[in-house]
Amino acid sequence: MSYLEIDNASIGFGPNNNRTEVLTDVNLSVNENEFVAIVGFSGAGKSTLISLLAGLVQPDKGEIRIGGNVIKEPSPRLGIMFQNYSLLPWLTVSQNVALAVKQVFPKYSKAELQEHVEKYVGMVSLLPALDKTPAELSGGMRQRASLARTLAMQPEVLLLDEPLSALDALTRAVIQDEIIRIWEDDKRTIVMITNDVDEAVLMADRIVPLTMGPSATLDHAFPVNLPRPRNRTTLNTNRDFRRLRNDISKYMVNLNEEAKALNTTEVVVDLPDLMPLDFTTVPYMPAKRRRRQQLAKILDRETTFFN
Amino acid sequence: MAEKTADKIKYRILKFLDVTGFAVFDPIVRLAFREEPKKQMEAISKYLIIPIIFVTLCVGLWWKVAPNHKTKSGEVPTPDVVMESARINHTFSVREKYKESDFLLVGEARLQALADVEAEMASQELILSVLDAKLQKEEAAYKTQLDSRLAPLLNEMDALRAKNKETAGAHKMEIAELAVQFEAKQVSGDDLLALIRAENADKDARRDMETIVKDKIKAIRSEKYKSLEAVRLEVNAVADNVQFLKKRVDFLTSANRSLKVGGAIEKFEASQQAFAAAKTAKAAITQAKHVIRNEASIERLEEQKYASAMTVYMQIKRSLFTVFVGFIIAAVIAIPVGILCGLNRIAMACLTPLISIFKPVSPVVWLLIFQIVVGAFFPDPGSHPFFLFFDRLPWVGQLGINPALIFSACTVAMCAVWPALVNTALGVASIDKDHINVARVLKLGFFDRLTKIIIPSALPLVFAGLRISLGVGWMVLIAAEALSSSDGLGKFVWDEYQNGSSYSFANILYACFVVGGIGFLLDRMMIVLQRFVSFDEANTSL
Repeated sequence: MSYLEIDNASIGFGPNNNRTEVLTDVNLSVNENEFVAIVGFSGAGKSTLISLLAGLVQPDKGEIRIGGNVIKEPSPRLGIMFQNYSLLPWLTVSQNVALAVKQVFPKYSKAELQEHVEKYVGMVSLLPALDKTPAELSGGMRQRASLARTLAMQPEVLLLDEPLSALDALTRAVIQDEIIRIWEDDKRTIVMITNDVDEAVLMADRIVPLTMGPSATLDHAFPVNLPRPRNRTTLNTNRDFRRLRNDISKYMVNLNEEAKALNTTEVVVDLPDLMPLDFTTVPYMPAKRRRRQQLAKILDRETTFFN
Repeated sequence: MAEKTADKIKYRILKFLDVTGFAVFDPIVRLAFREEPKKQMEAISKYLIIPIIFVTLCVGLWWKVAPNHKTKSGEVPTPDVVMESARINHTFSVREKYKESDFLLVGEARLQALADVEAEMASQELILSVLDAKLQKEEAAYKTQLDSRLAPLLNEMDALRAKNKETAGAHKMEIAELAVQFEAKQVSGDDLLALIRAENADKDARRDMETIVKDKIKAIRSEKYKSLEAVRLEVNAVADNVQFLKKRVDFLTSANRSLKVGGAIEKFEASQQAFAAAKTAKAAITQAKHVIRNEASIERLEEQKYASAMTVYMQIKRSLFTVFVGFIIAAVIAIPVGILCGLNRIAMACLTPLISIFKPVSPVVWLLIFQIVVGAFFPDPGSHPFFLFFDRLPWVGQLGINPALIFSACTVAMCAVWPALVNTALGVASIDKDHINVARVLKLGFFDRLTKIIIPSALPLVFAGLRISLGVGWMVLIAAEALSSSDGLGKFVWDEYQNGSSYSFANILYACFVVGGIGFLLDRMMIVLQRFVSFDEANTSL
């Protein structure tokens, strides 16, 4: 018996004569303490799916169960982390987190509350920014504050809605590691939505692709059997990782017929390993022309950059 | 270390300027701290000096153009006249303060003040007599120069009149002769008509000639004789001051409160003695009545306050009080109703017709409605407990709370309620959907949702609405006061318009600047408040 279940759920918006079916017959079962990633193109209905899971919207058909109980309304048990932070801009980081904590643990004393807040803010390494308002934080810090708020509720299920899509590559890597570390320390069920296949493979136990909308649905899952901890720097050379990534990418591209028509080969081809030229070896010549000739010579010898 | 504190001070000042909306003065502060002087000088010349020159030009234009337009209340006053009227108003209020303190002085202090005032009065009267002599001399000089300039013109005028009269007589005779000939059928009717026409034209020409000379005389008469005018002003000022000092002497002697009370006590004691000496029953009753009456009069005199004339500063105070009463009523109604409308679409649908219909109604209409409605509540305002209560309050008591103030405040509230209400509703209705979702996930109760999510989120817009409300309220109030004769700046303007003294027009312009200045300060105050509550650091417009 799985822990979190979506059972034949369908949902659509709009009046009958102009109805858009967003999700049709979605089935998913997530085991306890499993990390599931859902990948899909933008506009496929990913956010609708996570809203369904969080209980923010109700399915037109079918049901969603957690531990056997149907989810009828949102609750702190289902900790959702929104795509665009959703921090309250008039509160500081600690007040934002405390607001959530107070709701979940109403019996806490002031000191306990403070301790709890600091524990989770510390977990995302944001203690120095405890008394700053969201406007004073960078994008990555806001995302971490949002994560701290979600974690501080100690939800049974963590629903992450494209938590890293708005971040730059470096910050994204830092927060990916942060989420994995926290998940490993403090096991719980996570459903993460993403549009980045690499990210999904790096983080999840199982990857479920969402087909193109309208009437999107979840297709068969790709299990990720890579050993943990996964190191992002060595993973690139791991054959299993590369194969899995290619499989999923290929599958995703096949889903997108337009994309397929445009550039099948380009995307599926595994990019060659490049070796950059070392221009520092070219001796410095005062005469510009001679230096250019020298460079041309070097470049000419290596017409192909492949090793 | 020293540099650091200087920086701290600098940034504190800059922050203050930013929050209060005086960012224009930013470069001056930076220049004072020697930060990139060249850049600051450029900024100062661009955004400070050029605007100052522009405003100066505007004032110059006013100065130049104003005297050209003659109105029934005299020339349009120039800036210096308006300044003078400001000074006169200030002097008036200072004098009122003196009179009040004189009225309340007691014992030794009163005698001292009396001695001072009398000494000053003696010296002023001396000056006045000297000035009077000077004035007479100037007047005589003026008269002689006027006569010498007018004499030839007057002679010319007399000669012209005599000549014209002669010509008129001659023409009349000519016409009469021709008429006789016409009767005898010697000439045609056309000739007679032509002659009469010619005579009419000639008459107009003669009158015009007279008018030209008359105008010359008038011009000379109305010419201002500057030295005489100056002396006259001086005399007026000193005479005014003497008048004031006389009044002060009055308040220090016969009209002084302590003396009045003393007189009443003497009377009371006399009546007591008379009562004690009363032999017959009838006499006893009469004397007892006297005793009681005198007792009451002592009490009344002891509590008597100085009845100050309304100075412009008192009018300002009262206007500010009225506008804040109205504004607070408006805010107390608008914010809860606005929140309700923002939260509930049914409430919004219910209130939309009311808002749409009443929002465009003119303040004048509201004023009349409230005047009738409020008047019905207080048939006898002088003894109504509501007003008696306010009269006893320490600061508010001086302002003279009366029905006029109440309905002026109601009018202000009625007109100021709409912007605040609409903005609050908008602020509440346009809360970020993510924030609502946060509230749903956290399962916040209604009250928490209201205080932690809805109100903070709507607050910047609420304050933007309140700012507009206060501005509208201030504008409406001046009109309401003018129309309802409720004391305040509006009434000040209206009184000046009605009484038509030589400084009336200048006083109205002065009031215009006072109203504008206070409105500006109120707006700035609201901007600062708005800046404090807005979390998004949004810039507020001018």
